[in-house]
Amino acid sequence: MGTFQPYQQALTICLALAAVLLPLLAFIINACLPGRTNKAAGWVSTLAILLSFVSAIIIFSKLWNQPQLHWQFKWFTIGSTNLYAGMWLNNHSVIMLLLVPAIALPVHIYSTAYMKHDERYKRYFAYLSLFCFSMLALVVADSMITFYVFWELVGFSSYLLIGFWFTREKAVMANKKAFIVNRIGDVGLLIAIMIIFVQSGSFDLNQLFGSYGLIAQSQTVNGLWVGASATVPVFWQYVACGGVFLAVAAKTAQFPLHAWLPDAMEGPTSVSALIHAATMVAAGVFLLGRLYPLFTPTELDVLAAIGCFTAFMAATIALTQNDLKRILAYSTISQLGFMVTGMGIGAYASSLFHLVTHAFFKCLLFLVTGIVIHQMAHIKEDNNLDIDPQNILNMGGLRKKLPFTFMTALIGAAALIGLPLTSGFLSKDGILIQSVSWAEQRSFWHMLIPVGVIITTGLTAFYVTRLIVKVFFGKFKLEQFHPHIKYHISDGGWQYTVPLFMLAVCSLFPIFSFNPFVYEDAWVFSGFSTETGLDRINIFHTIIPVGVNILSVFVIYFAYSVYVKRNSWSAPQNSFLYKLSYNQWYFDAFYNKVIVGGVLMLSRASSWFDHKIIDGFIHLLSNLIIGLSKIAAWFDYYVIDGVSRLLTFIVRITSNFIRYFQSGKIQYYLFSMMAVVLVLFIYLLLDI
Amino acid sequence: MISLNDFLVVGAALFCIGLYMLLTKRNAIQLLIGIELMLNAGILNLVAFGKFDKINNSGQIFALFAIVLAAATTAVALAIILTVYRKYKTIDPGRVNSLKD
Repeated sequence: MGTFQPYQQALTICLALAAVLLPLLAFIINACLPGRTNKAAGWVSTLAILLSFVSAIIIFSKLWNQPQLHWQFKWFTIGSTNLYAGMWLNNHSVIMLLLVPAIALPVHIYSTAYMKHDERYKRYFAYLSLFCFSMLALVVADSMITFYVFWELVGFSSYLLIGFWFTREKAVMANKKAFIVNRIGDVGLLIAIMIIFVQSGSFDLNQLFGSYGLIAQSQTVNGLWVGASATVPVFWQYVACGGVFLAVAAKTAQFPLHAWLPDAMEGPTSVSALIHAATMVAAGVFLLGRLYPLFTPTELDVLAAIGCFTAFMAATIALTQNDLKRILAYSTISQLGFMVTGMGIGAYASSLFHLVTHAFFKCLLFLVTGIVIHQMAHIKEDNNLDIDPQNILNMGGLRKKLPFTFMTALIGAAALIGLPLTSGFLSKDGILIQSVSWAEQRSFWHMLIPVGVIITTGLTAFYVTRLIVKVFFGKFKLEQFHPHIKYHISDGGWQYTVPLFMLAVCSLFPIFSFNPFVYEDAWVFSGFSTETGLDRINIFHTIIPVGVNILSVFVIYFAYSVYVKRNSWSAPQNSFLYKLSYNQWYFDAFYNKVIVGGVLMLSRASSWFDHKIIDGFIHLLSNLIIGLSKIAAWFDYYVIDGVSRLLTFIVRITSNFIRYFQSGKIQYYLFSMMAVVLVLFIYLLLDI
Repeated sequence: MISLNDFLVVGAALFCIGLYMLLTKRNAIQLLIGIELMLNAGILNLVAFGKFDKINNSGQIFALFAIVLAAATTAVALAIILTVYRKYKTIDPGRVNSLKD
């Protein structure tokens, strides 16, 4: 299978283009459809994503484990630099190209029912299609420029969807926060792109990061980073990596920039499932995978440490949250931390494998959550209660009311914990085992990472069990609080159950591997793994999965007994650790105080400077000019006008005097005539 | 014997009375009388100075002309007064002031 026939190649490219552009078409059609709640919108988008999914399957079957396909055309030229746009289809992108519509399709079907009564139904699907288009285009983009464009577009459509219910104050705050935090990452990515372009003179991802690409060939010599186009100080390499890391941290919600993701849960639950659990947040990991050759071993260690810290931190926060979606949001952050750790320790294949499996089971859990919240909201509306439909303290015992949802939730939870026979087991064990064997070859401090990862796994088991138990086991708390309420809740129609079923099947092992206990046999893993014959060389491969699973089972039993059997026991709610966890490690408070406060203070200082100094100077000038013009006005009025007014005054007086004679009375004329004659006469008399 | 000076004094007095009447009276007829007085003062002077021309008596003759002319002008003036009265319903010259602009 060395080469493709040209027409086959052209066919594949056309299919890939179709897969990417169909959702865009759906977006345009939906934008043009009349009516706000046109039910056709849902089916247009769903059909588009279905066709996109079918094309992705065909492409996948043709290109998986085959030579990569790179197609591009010249987009435009600036100076002597040609910019190309095109597609780079290798294992890395085709798996994502398959994953995105595979997740999006159930979410679309689910949304047709979930958003049925929304007054902006059509707009919802238009946004959803826009997101799918941007995400699909992002994964196949072959140039850093087009990649950046779609990276931004993904962030923008996510912004639109988080704030979809923009009449709610909290949703608006959340989408603003998400957008601002993502901007930080985008700036980092832009800086990295510029540095890489300067150093190697190319935007082409394949040329840069493909096998034996320009970045892999560039070396660091004597503090200089030698590239194909220019040699720059090695400092710029660190800046580029820092920029990429910022981008990853913002999109994938890693430690310093994770704060937006829990708030992003203000969007519709189906959106959270698609974007903030399965696809968009994985874009950061995808970016890491694309730019993998850029990182040096030290930078990878930092990456692993940050990923591990994020995983641990988010897991501890998830322990005490009471908001259903918030628990899952922190669980997502934690799992993304796993993936970043995996990238950091060189478990490239396991990390991408975990990305794929996580997408399915986390999407499944979110859709389950959506059903539960939907039913709780129904109860709330029917009985006019003042409750938060997302609070797990109001739930309980729902397994009898929602049996199908419960079953799928159990599968999702088992996959999230990493129990055997699920996909999560396969992918998580890959990361765990590789982290242990990675740390073994290094110093003592490196052991912190596998230890942290294993502790996080235990914590994950605890909070997931807590979630499941609080929602599905025990007695219905709301009924205990309000004994008289009436409710009739169910799993919902096929639009709810079919997506859950599809995702639940994909969360089980047979989709990924025929051997449920050995992750190396999974086809996704082998598609990325470059190692051969090194498998199972050490004892970790047996001990770790067994040990971790015993730990998980123990923790699950512990949690179960805490929350079901001895319902009275509770963690000391006044202890420091509890508060730390409940308040999400005070990150929000810290950011509010230091960063938001700092920015506000800076703005106030600038405002003061502007008002007092700059405006003051201008006011001074204006006052000076006003003073001068007042003097000029005075001079004009009294001196220049004064002369002419004096003249007119004299003329007026004189003429008034003369007019006095012209009275029209004949005797006066006579009198004045006589007076003049007399005057002349006297004058003549005196003169002589 | 009545000297020339006496005539001239009477003439001047007549002229002044006529002038005074002309300036002060509020009746056009009285003004006309004032004018007649002034005219007669002039005629008196003509007659008085006529003694220096005993041959042709041009003073007396000129006085006669002047008297005739005065009669004519008086007739014209009376006609004017009548017209003024018709127009303004008064013959007070103080009220007839349409001579001004």
